Amino acid sequence: MRIGALARGMMGWLSPAMLVAFALFGTLPLWIEAVGLYRYLGIEILIWCIFALGFNLLLGYTGLPSFGHGAYFGIGAYALGLTQFHLAASLWVGLLAATLAAAVMGGGVALFISHRRGIYFALMTIAFGQMFFFIASKWTSVTGGEDGLLDIRRLPAHVGFAAFDLTGNLAMSYFTFATFAVVTVLLWRLVHSPFGKVLRAIKQNETRMAYLGYRVFAYKWASFTLSCAVAGLAGGLFAMAQHGAYVQVMNLQWSGVVVLMTLVGGGLVSFWGPVVGTVLYFVARDLLGMYTESWLLWFGLMFMLVVMFKPEGVAGIWQAAAARAGARRRARAVALQPAGGK
Amino acid sequence: MDLLITLGPHLLNGVALGLLFALVALGFMLIIGVMEVINLAHGSLFALGAYVAVALVTPEGGLRLAALATYFAFPLPARFVVALVVAPIVVGGVGMVLEVCLRRTYGRDPLYGLLLTFGAALVLEELIRLVWGPTERFLPVPAAITGGITLGGLVYSVYRFFASAFAVGMIVLLWLFLQRTRYGALIKAGAHDSEMVRALGVNLTRLRLLVFALGTALAAVAGIVMAPIWGVRPHVGVDAVVPAFVVIVLGGVGSFWGAVIAGLLVGMVVGITGAFATAWSLVSMYVLLILVVTVRGRGLLGKKSVLER
Repeated sequence: MRIGALARGMMGWLSPAMLVAFALFGTLPLWIEAVGLYRYLGIEILIWCIFALGFNLLLGYTGLPSFGHGAYFGIGAYALGLTQFHLAASLWVGLLAATLAAAVMGGGVALFISHRRGIYFALMTIAFGQMFFFIASKWTSVTGGEDGLLDIRRLPAHVGFAAFDLTGNLAMSYFTFATFAVVTVLLWRLVHSPFGKVLRAIKQNETRMAYLGYRVFAYKWASFTLSCAVAGLAGGLFAMAQHGAYVQVMNLQWSGVVVLMTLVGGGLVSFWGPVVGTVLYFVARDLLGMYTESWLLWFGLMFMLVVMFKPEGVAGIWQAAAARAGARRRARAVALQPAGGK
Repeated sequence: MDLLITLGPHLLNGVALGLLFALVALGFMLIIGVMEVINLAHGSLFALGAYVAVALVTPEGGLRLAALATYFAFPLPARFVVALVVAPIVVGGVGMVLEVCLRRTYGRDPLYGLLLTFGAALVLEELIRLVWGPTERFLPVPAAITGGITLGGLVYSVYRFFASAFAVGMIVLLWLFLQRTRYGALIKAGAHDSEMVRALGVNLTRLRLLVFALGTALAAVAGIVMAPIWGVRPHVGVDAVVPAFVVIVLGGVGSFWGAVIAGLLVGMVVGITGAFATAWSLVSMYVLLILVVTVRGRGLLGKKSVLER
């Protein structure tokens, strides 16, 4: 009985799919080289998973399409570098600064756009995203302009009794995985909380929620700001991984790529959609990239087909297949019952 | 007063830029109006227009067939005019293909239309890179509209005058088309309530195809006229389409003259900041947008529309 209650309590924080994901990503550094890929790719995938999961809080759960999210990723990257150079050479301070800087900027932007929805919202996020992009590329004295902010170090992770050196890609893999795990658990808890339910309700019918007395503006503001904070954290990690912060991630195309990852995987119907999409994107990039320079052409075509024919993405296909299998099983169980058994 | 005079050339640059932004924005807005789709491929189609024009004007632009030797023997002005006519038609055709792909997203979340066109933008940009390579190209301009004229001691570029006049002509033509023709009336009605237009017996499928072709052809026209000013690169479209977003939100979605006024405003602001702080000229338009939209939520001349669902 008490074990049952405990299991139910745990379910708010964990899920079977999450354990599978943790098992896969946690052991990634051990087998990624065996399947012909390389360790750095694992780091990159995990960082973009964090980014896409946070982005999906906004897109999949609140129904707000942002096409300028790369800006907050970039702000996080610059914040980590600038803190390291000018403020304090500490990993934790740097990552905190990355998260907070993106949250503050995102929170400011959200004040301007949280009363909008749909196409207006998307256009405004593009405008703000481009503004940050141009500022970052022109403010050379701070951001290094087109060259970027170079020589960002991977500082050791102090955890009270010990310090882990993150300069190698193996250690960095594990550190990125730990961050990914923490973010995943927190986001999972968040979307299954009453707050998450309100967000989903706003996605379905914003006007009704407003009439029910919910402060829709505040919820949308919080959703945007939180997803920007996660983007900033991911950006900070990316700056560490790349040993630098570059302006390219802030442009319109990269902002679009995170939308694309989230949707191809099926972020609109599943928590795990963004993770599936991110893995697919990077594996496609490396596999297609081996054969052709213009792999984005093929990826773009694939993406168009997904939107046209399977708009719910990989997770949608999976769910439909699972539902069909379930229906078949039930049909078989009914057929096996002896006639007139009741 | 002296300051105003020295700003002259910058203002001319601003006007030319603003009118071309308005042209891109108007095509974009027609598509938003009738299909409720944000066409993120608009920038790539802008670039495609410029590339097709380069191919039609210079023999090095991609077309190297022997049969075309007689064509390239034509004088440059003739080829330039051919490019101005043919390239938008080609791009309009590509736009039609895109519209056919988009059909599956109608009636679903508008997000899907946006995503499909984002995919199309990636594909078009990569195709351009594949066909023409990543290096920058230049569109030669007939001698009659190059060079500069000196007014009051300052040099004004003739081509900017041409670009402004051409854009004004296109805007007026578009306005007359929308105001004076049957199809124009249908497009306006479609932007108001497309389902009602269908219920009244209009072939909505054909109307949408036409609007998409028209909107993308306008992007191509702007791309060609802009090409000698900006140069032609595979990703040049982003530089045009993002200001067009700004112009639309600033002018108010669905307002023809709102877009024109906002285009001029954006062009002026970019031109004037360009005179004082070149690096920051492109940021200034976003500041303008934020200032205006904070005060007037729907932009300068915007009305409440279906897009705010």
